Amino acid sequence: MNRWTGKTSGLEEWLQLLKGQPEIMNNVTHWHTIPPREARSAAMPADIHPSLVEALAGRGVEKLFVHQAEAYRAVREGRNVVTVTPTASGKTLCYNLPVVQSLLENASGRALYLFPTKALAQDQVAELQELAAAMDVDLKTNTYDGDTPPTVRQVIRNAGHIVVTNPDMLHSAILPHHTKWVKLFENIKYIVIDELHSYRGVFGSHVANVIRRLKRICRFYGSNPQFICASATIDNPREHAERLIGEEVALIDNNGAPMGEKHFICYNPPVVNKQLGIRRSSVLETRRLAASLLRQGVQTIVFARSRVRVELLLTYLQELVKDELGTKTIRGYRGGYLPKLRREIERGLRSGEIRGVVSTNALELGIDIGQLQACVMNGYPGTIASTWQQSGRAGRRQGTSVTFLVASSNPLDQYMIQNPDFFFNRPPERALIHPDNLLILIDHVKCAAYELPFERGEKFGDEPLEDMLEFLAEEKVLHHAGDRWFWMEQSFPAHGISLRSAAQENFIIIDRTEGSRVLGEVDRFSAPTLIHEEAIYIHEGVQYQVEKLDFPEKKAYVREVDVDYFTDANLAVELKVLHVDKELESGELLRQYGELTVNAKATIFKKIRLGSHENIGSGPIHLPEEELHTSGYWFSFSEEAASRKSTNDMQQALLGLANVLVHIAPLYLMCDPQDIRVVPQVKAVHTKLPTIYFYDRYPGGIGLSQRLFDVHDKLLLQAKSLIRGCSCLSGCPACVGPIEEVGLLGKSLALDLIEQVEIVS
Amino acid sequence: MSRMRERLLRHRASREEALERESAECDKAEASARLDETEETEETVCTVHNVQHADAEASETEPLPLLWEGLDVRLIHTSNGPFLRREARYPMSYRHGLHSLSELGAAVKGLAAFRAIGQFERSRDIRQEQFNAAVRVPLDAGKVLFLDLETTGLGVGTGNVPFMVGIAYAEGEAFVVEQMLIRHPAEERAMLTYLCDKLPSFTHLVTYNGRTFDWPVLLNRLILNGFRKFQWEPVHIDLLHPSRSIWRNTLVSCRLSHVEEERLGITRNDDVPGALAPAIYFQFLADQQPGPLLGVFRHNETDMLSLACLAIRFGHLLSGQLEAYVPQQPQSEELLRTGLWLEKMGAVELAEPLLAQLAEDEQAEPGCLFLLADRDKKCGNWPRAVLLWQKVVQAAERSHWPDWRAHIELSMYYEHRTKQLQSALLLAESALSFAQKRMAGLRLDAKRRQELEGIRKRVDRLRHKIGRLSG
Repeated sequence: MNRWTGKTSGLEEWLQLLKGQPEIMNNVTHWHTIPPREARSAAMPADIHPSLVEALAGRGVEKLFVHQAEAYRAVREGRNVVTVTPTASGKTLCYNLPVVQSLLENASGRALYLFPTKALAQDQVAELQELAAAMDVDLKTNTYDGDTPPTVRQVIRNAGHIVVTNPDMLHSAILPHHTKWVKLFENIKYIVIDELHSYRGVFGSHVANVIRRLKRICRFYGSNPQFICASATIDNPREHAERLIGEEVALIDNNGAPMGEKHFICYNPPVVNKQLGIRRSSVLETRRLAASLLRQGVQTIVFARSRVRVELLLTYLQELVKDELGTKTIRGYRGGYLPKLRREIERGLRSGEIRGVVSTNALELGIDIGQLQACVMNGYPGTIASTWQQSGRAGRRQGTSVTFLVASSNPLDQYMIQNPDFFFNRPPERALIHPDNLLILIDHVKCAAYELPFERGEKFGDEPLEDMLEFLAEEKVLHHAGDRWFWMEQSFPAHGISLRSAAQENFIIIDRTEGSRVLGEVDRFSAPTLIHEEAIYIHEGVQYQVEKLDFPEKKAYVREVDVDYFTDANLAVELKVLHVDKELESGELLRQYGELTVNAKATIFKKIRLGSHENIGSGPIHLPEEELHTSGYWFSFSEEAASRKSTNDMQQALLGLANVLVHIAPLYLMCDPQDIRVVPQVKAVHTKLPTIYFYDRYPGGIGLSQRLFDVHDKLLLQAKSLIRGCSCLSGCPACVGPIEEVGLLGKSLALDLIEQVEIVS
Repeated sequence: MSRMRERLLRHRASREEALERESAECDKAEASARLDETEETEETVCTVHNVQHADAEASETEPLPLLWEGLDVRLIHTSNGPFLRREARYPMSYRHGLHSLSELGAAVKGLAAFRAIGQFERSRDIRQEQFNAAVRVPLDAGKVLFLDLETTGLGVGTGNVPFMVGIAYAEGEAFVVEQMLIRHPAEERAMLTYLCDKLPSFTHLVTYNGRTFDWPVLLNRLILNGFRKFQWEPVHIDLLHPSRSIWRNTLVSCRLSHVEEERLGITRNDDVPGALAPAIYFQFLADQQPGPLLGVFRHNETDMLSLACLAIRFGHLLSGQLEAYVPQQPQSEELLRTGLWLEKMGAVELAEPLLAQLAEDEQAEPGCLFLLADRDKKCGNWPRAVLLWQKVVQAAERSHWPDWRAHIELSMYYEHRTKQLQSALLLAESALSFAQKRMAGLRLDAKRRQELEGIRKRVDRLRHKIGRLSG
């Protein structure tokens, strides 16, 4: 180390020094070192076209990694393929190689590439165009999305060899107009689907149906394309791919790419208030670690979970290092930045001009930003898969790299940071989709009927199609004549159907204290209780009062106030079980899975004085009731178990347990915590017993609660170990919830409840 | 009943419950209003004119159910099954509004100016030559096909089905309107078979908005029904485009129904609006009562006749003989647009007199004169351009709401072409004062500010130049 500047000679030395600093090391809960891995290569396959071999050599590719060679072979054998390897392992070549080779053999062939975002599509086109230029062949690769000018659309439709687009565009623009794409659909050989893991949940269920439609159109034009998919590491890549495309798939996961040594450090900010279980802010700790790395000249990426945090961290870091590095070398990156700015930042990162970037998970996907050395995550990204993706941004092929995971105080983070084994020794989550969700399915049956009439005996999904067609004919959407069902409605069905979930519709909060500025946003389902009129909304420690909530326009207008109370809204939730599909009894617990409706209505709010928590007033909330028809899973305690506790104690135990369960449920689901809801009831209408309900917050259900029904035992076990392992005295936000919510005994009551059940079973 | 159906019905039930709760009072009124309208069409009685409808001859086909009586349709059998056809034969002497169908023979000469692919030369002389060459090729009125579809929806997506296809053409001494109807979508293939047989004998296709709608929709249907190999490449004349060129500012809408009323002297009685056609057809699919379809047939038939008359109108314009048939429209805007359109079509010699007439019209609107000057400037006719700008400048001086664009044009002309800097400065200065007056009290957005800044710079530059010369 240079004693005068404090600079170390490199990341290795810096890591050594770190180990000698107790003020840091005391907070490190786990230091995991992944040894470097050598490359395993295979010779370039003999059948590859000489000009392609030459072009690849010109870009530094003389040999293939084993997984690339395997993928190539499998595709050439005519199999559908999914490749699963970490970031920077040369995944794109796994599909570009067979596709380009095939186009060199037969120029009339066509391929369709699907990416979840426009930015990724543009990256891909640039890469393919460079390759074509290097070979000096006429290989037309184009993006086709909302930004494509109308003048070139026709050319792309007729002459593009490789059309790169996104599922939304396929759904609403290409498939309903397939007659304009005759050339593509007649000659399509390959369909490439990258970032397969991002097609999960509601979005994935929709995309699976779009692919069913795509295959149907291909059949109509007499083609039968092969699928080549690529995914980040998930637990069930093959199953997921097979469900998504509805075909058998060969799995390629024999990663041959080299990797440098990797340090993965779990960091838990110190407790500052033991009674309340409050830890030092993860943002401040992230800032400290990132600044230290940046000062050493280590190119660093910082991931934060929200846009607001990105901006906050960016401002802090730019301020801290402005004298040494200049603010232009540290940039932010998130959705909402214009494409041009994003391209500039990506370029800067590749060239090394930009030394640090603070990003949301927007940079988690395969956008090319070159090799970074360090990654700092502010908060657990939510899933094991994303964590590895984000960590993979640091240290791509050689050299030492480091990743810090800085835990926030939410229960999931605390669980992960205290149980690192769970993270390191467990496969990542399963990607779940439920393409046969009745409502999603029927939407796509409509779109498909619009594209081509259905014939008797046709299949679409795993539900009986004819019943659905008859139903739609009754609804006067389809017309049944002869052996076929025809679309007979004036509308264009794809326009009314969005592939992305409705939960993305947020309410915007506008501050009118001085002029008007956007303060933040709140998701649709939380809006009735958080930003009803007269609510006190707290943002960065400042109180605002909601003056007006424009429900249809999804806007809340607030003004800064200084009052000594906060508001707490009462949400009346009514659950009605319509149908029980599965049932299992074990010991004192009965668990069921089925269909239910949820009616939620914000009724009144209370004003509660800060500090003393006395109730100082209340008012009504006038907002429409929300109804949701979905699938759910619930378990109820037997009468014996119920009789052991007073109603009040049972109430608090259930509430505490429910709080824990809903936070750890995402461990098994790979979903947004917002997608699943929990409701504890001391005496449920359906069972008349103490019951905890979970339901999918999407009409018709998307398979989340079904999965929870299956992992029920493990879920309870995790909940118990989380409550036991929490360092707080009697409940904190990181386990059963704060004392204000679950009472002084909440923690022990909840623990007691699980343990008793366990003893009996 | 299967489990699937049970689930669907449960979902429907919960949806309906929610809807009921939300709105017990609304929507019903609208739904019943729509019903009334469809019922009304049933009562429309066939007005008698000298048109022969083909009889439903029982000899070659099995008889249709009695319900179809009064619609003048008959069953046609093809190798791909049956569909219905309705035929009306109009004598060529039939007059539809201002024009008579007999004018078609004369008008097609002009229509020949529409060529297969319309790339026009920039040079006026070559354009005229191309025009002459095109109209010299004789065109037989019997080779022109008029086409109009009635579809189940909007847009050109693959789910939009033309349930009625109307075609019309001259055949000897008659103008024939043939309308094909499918009783359900499975008959579409039969209808297309018949159509594919019919189309290739025509060389020209006339539509209204057919380039973006009727033709692409029909192509979709051909591809979807297995006629991918069908080849027919007529010269497609979409009359919406010239209609827009000429009437975009004079008519409030360029819909065919509006154009025909305002310019072709056609009035429709008891017409079923085209927008209702899908609903009527869906109703028929549901209850199998064909009565209300008569309204759609008649609407489509009128559309075909109007289309023919509009083609006659443009044919006359292009062969320079419009005045022989109808009095000319006096509006200066229309005169200008007609001249410019003729010029675009290559009929430079026909355009000149119209434009000259406009230039001399004392009543002409300054806006039109300005546009004409712009056109003169582009083709180098400076003397008339200057004359026109001067007229516009004078008009502006008298106006309460003056337009300064002619001032600027004229100022540029004096500055750069004739070097009369003083005149140029005077014009620029009065342009500036007009602009300032007009923008006073308005919020200055980027565009306005830029415009004002431009004039100010011009004034400064001219002052500077003059100063340098005199100083």
